[in-house]
Amino acid sequence: MSTPRPRPIGLIGATLALLRKDLLIEWRTRARLNAIVFFALATLLMFSFALGPDTRLLEKNAGGYFWLAILFASVLAMGESFRVESENACLDGIRLAPADARAIYLSKALGNALLLIALGIVLLPVMVALYGVKVVTGFVDLGTVLLLGSLALSAPGTVYAAISSNARARDVLLPLLLFPLVIPALLSLAKATSLVLQGDPMNQLGSWLGLLLGFNLIYWGVGFVLFPRIIED
Amino acid sequence: MTTLTTLGVLAQAAGQVGSGRIQGGWGYVWACYGITVVALVLYSLSLWLRRPQAAKE
Amino acid sequence: MNKLIKWGLPVVGLGVLAAGWWLGLAWAPPDREMGDVQRIMYVHVPLQWMAMLAMFLNFVAAVAYLVRSNASWKLDSTAESAAEVGLVLGALGMVTGAIWGRPTWGVYWSWDPRLTSEAIMLVTYTGYLVLRRFVEDPDKRATWSAVVAILGAINLPIVWFSVRWWRSLHQVQSSPKTVDPQMVLCLRVSAIGLLLLTIAMLMHRYRIALAERRAEVALPEALPGTGGAASVHDTPKVA
Repeated sequence: MSTPRPRPIGLIGATLALLRKDLLIEWRTRARLNAIVFFALATLLMFSFALGPDTRLLEKNAGGYFWLAILFASVLAMGESFRVESENACLDGIRLAPADARAIYLSKALGNALLLIALGIVLLPVMVALYGVKVVTGFVDLGTVLLLGSLALSAPGTVYAAISSNARARDVLLPLLLFPLVIPALLSLAKATSLVLQGDPMNQLGSWLGLLLGFNLIYWGVGFVLFPRIIED
Repeated sequence: MTTLTTLGVLAQAAGQVGSGRIQGGWGYVWACYGITVVALVLYSLSLWLRRPQAAKE
Repeated sequence: MNKLIKWGLPVVGLGVLAAGWWLGLAWAPPDREMGDVQRIMYVHVPLQWMAMLAMFLNFVAAVAYLVRSNASWKLDSTAESAAEVGLVLGALGMVTGAIWGRPTWGVYWSWDPRLTSEAIMLVTYTGYLVLRRFVEDPDKRATWSAVVAILGAINLPIVWFSVRWWRSLHQVQSSPKTVDPQMVLCLRVSAIGLLLLTIAMLMHRYRIALAERRAEVALPEALPGTGGAASVHDTPKVA
């Protein structure tokens, strides 16, 4: 009865509490979301300038450009997600709380994924307008691609952001580490998105989504297992 | 020894087969071997230059 | 290190490699399809094998470092040396492969799964080595780079499958190889020679890495001057 220590809240409880904290911080300023939305919009616009006014080409490659814009923005967003914690040694404070290190991983990765999903939702109508594409196979497919893609980018990205936020030259390091790793995801995302936008006569969408699902399972699992080693002292 | 002579016979027989569909191309071959040798030599040199000095305290 | 191994291994390796290459260049028959250009195989394929071997060693050392509770610097140094040697060999393998591709495929580069995976492998391990340079704390460097090595290694089969899948929707790139027993012999001799050389390079690089680790750990935390990072790598010239 008289135990002064509070009851441990468990992995899921801790994850939700940390996620709530991160989302609250994000909601108070909305600085990160604003920054990456405008960054991604500028990137989308730059692709159309770089390619010239050939709308057919833009339409054909819209899926790839869309995910490249999100990937570039995600590097900024994920790097920032750990910078917040390193400011006043917040990460140490959280770990002393005590929170399971794996809960920190799950909350950060989920938070980043949510941010990317929000970014994708904002970006989609702009892409439709800018590149002149239309959603052929339906919004459910598009939503699935967006969900799986955001999760796929944030799972390894959060691990590498935690590493690079403490290293020198972190702004160079994160893309250098992350880009080669997400190539399979990027490849299937670009393919899946173009199938959604241009029709899927040969029913290939399912296999690309399967590849994305496998990618997610692997990296969420590996990140979950290895993350505690990264932030230990 | 017998294997060596066998190999020699085989080599002579092989010489009569004639070269392949792509003629020449020795330039590519020498380029590959040359680049590899130069790079490995340079890397060995860098290993040698970085060799740990015996600490004399 | 034993003097005999230190000097004997590279010399024997060089001898065997020279023998293998000589056999490959002068004695083996030209390929029926590719002609003399096929002789690039005796330099290209052993390089690729040894690069794979080094990367595998890196992966094993990284896993062992993370799994073992009292992991020593030896594992970390092994991982570092394997990554660097593997990167050198892999880069050479890719360059020779590209040169080989020019006369046979007509292009230096094709988006063949193997080539693509290898390019990604090289970028991954470049990132690994860059990360190692950018982290000063040896403990953190060892742990973090082990994590990066494991994630990068897991990625390679995924890349291979996804690129194969991606390409298979367009065209299938195949390079048929008719392998003659003589060719196999030359290939094996060259590979053994390069294996010995690789082991020698790994051992030398390992000694360098281990000496660096020991110097870093032995170094007192607060040296005079704030440029602690720079002074770690300077070998003390003044006695």
